[in-house]
Amino acid sequence: MHKVSEIEVQHNIMKANKKLADKNKKKLEENDVFGIDFVGAIGSGKTSLIEELIQNMDGSIGVIAGDVISKFDAGRFKKYDVPVVGLNTGKECHLDAHLVEHALNDISLVDVDYLFIENVGNLICPVDFDLGSHMRIVVVSVSEGDDTVEKHPFIFQSADLIIINKVDIANAVGADENKMATDAKKINPDVKIIKTSLKEGKGLDEIISAIEKFKIIIS
Amino acid sequence: MHELSMADGILKAVLENAQKNEVTEVLEVTIQIGKMALLNPKQVKFMLGVLSEDTIANKAKFIIEEIPIEIQCLECGFEGKVDVDDLDHYAPMVECPKCENKRISIINGKDCTVKSIVVEKDD
Repeated sequence: MHKVSEIEVQHNIMKANKKLADKNKKKLEENDVFGIDFVGAIGSGKTSLIEELIQNMDGSIGVIAGDVISKFDAGRFKKYDVPVVGLNTGKECHLDAHLVEHALNDISLVDVDYLFIENVGNLICPVDFDLGSHMRIVVVSVSEGDDTVEKHPFIFQSADLIIINKVDIANAVGADENKMATDAKKINPDVKIIKTSLKEGKGLDEIISAIEKFKIIIS
Repeated sequence: MHELSMADGILKAVLENAQKNEVTEVLEVTIQIGKMALLNPKQVKFMLGVLSEDTIANKAKFIIEEIPIEIQCLECGFEGKVDVDDLDHYAPMVECPKCENKRISIINGKDCTVKSIVVEKDD
């Protein structure tokens, strides 16, 4: 004989990630490490920004390079002689706290002041997955089109710092960087927005000081 | 876009619970998805159908309940539901329905939860 019954499960899939993210954050804090999650579309300039920060920021930096195939970006960071962990997501479109938890075991946290986590190039999926970092930087470039910000409100709402990159080519691609900044301000009224041309080094000092200020505010 | 990994998490939770309760077959699964989670319910359902093949949930009916967004406005103090049904976007812009401010905190509507399962057991 078979019996049919209902079982209350109440298993929150998002909370499982959040729990691991909190664990990651605790681990960073136990080692006095400030974690930053870099999010942006493919080609927005996340990797270039991290390269510039490694070369110009005070304090030692470690990097978790997340990508569908991470060896390319990881190779770029290794040139600067900093600890780097490549994190392959394969077919997955985002990093999650579980993947970062494993990567944290492969990096000597006592040796770094800042841990940079470069997310997979994507403006959608990373929104749902807290990694346990202290700050989220969203990088958007003018070449993605000046309607990119308004089309992806959630990721910009979750940002602690928004960087509008490649402003040097805004005219060439017919994009209005001021519109992008206005859209970002509408979505996230309190966020700091910096317009940059990382290729020309424009805006880099402002980014470094914004990170340092944010670190002081939240610690 | 990450419907596959979410569906995988959902199915794991279902099968773990089924195993714990010595279930022979899963007949029905009820899942709650917040309207602010960046998940398309139709895609989640499709993925669940694919992933559950060759499991004891292969004949299960997957029911998805959408959970409304609830906010607290940091400007005027409004607390309650936000109606986003007239938007055709899976990432609705959320603002306070009372004062239209965007300085808000999300109370509900971001989660994805396996609520319950209906199962068959041997007597």
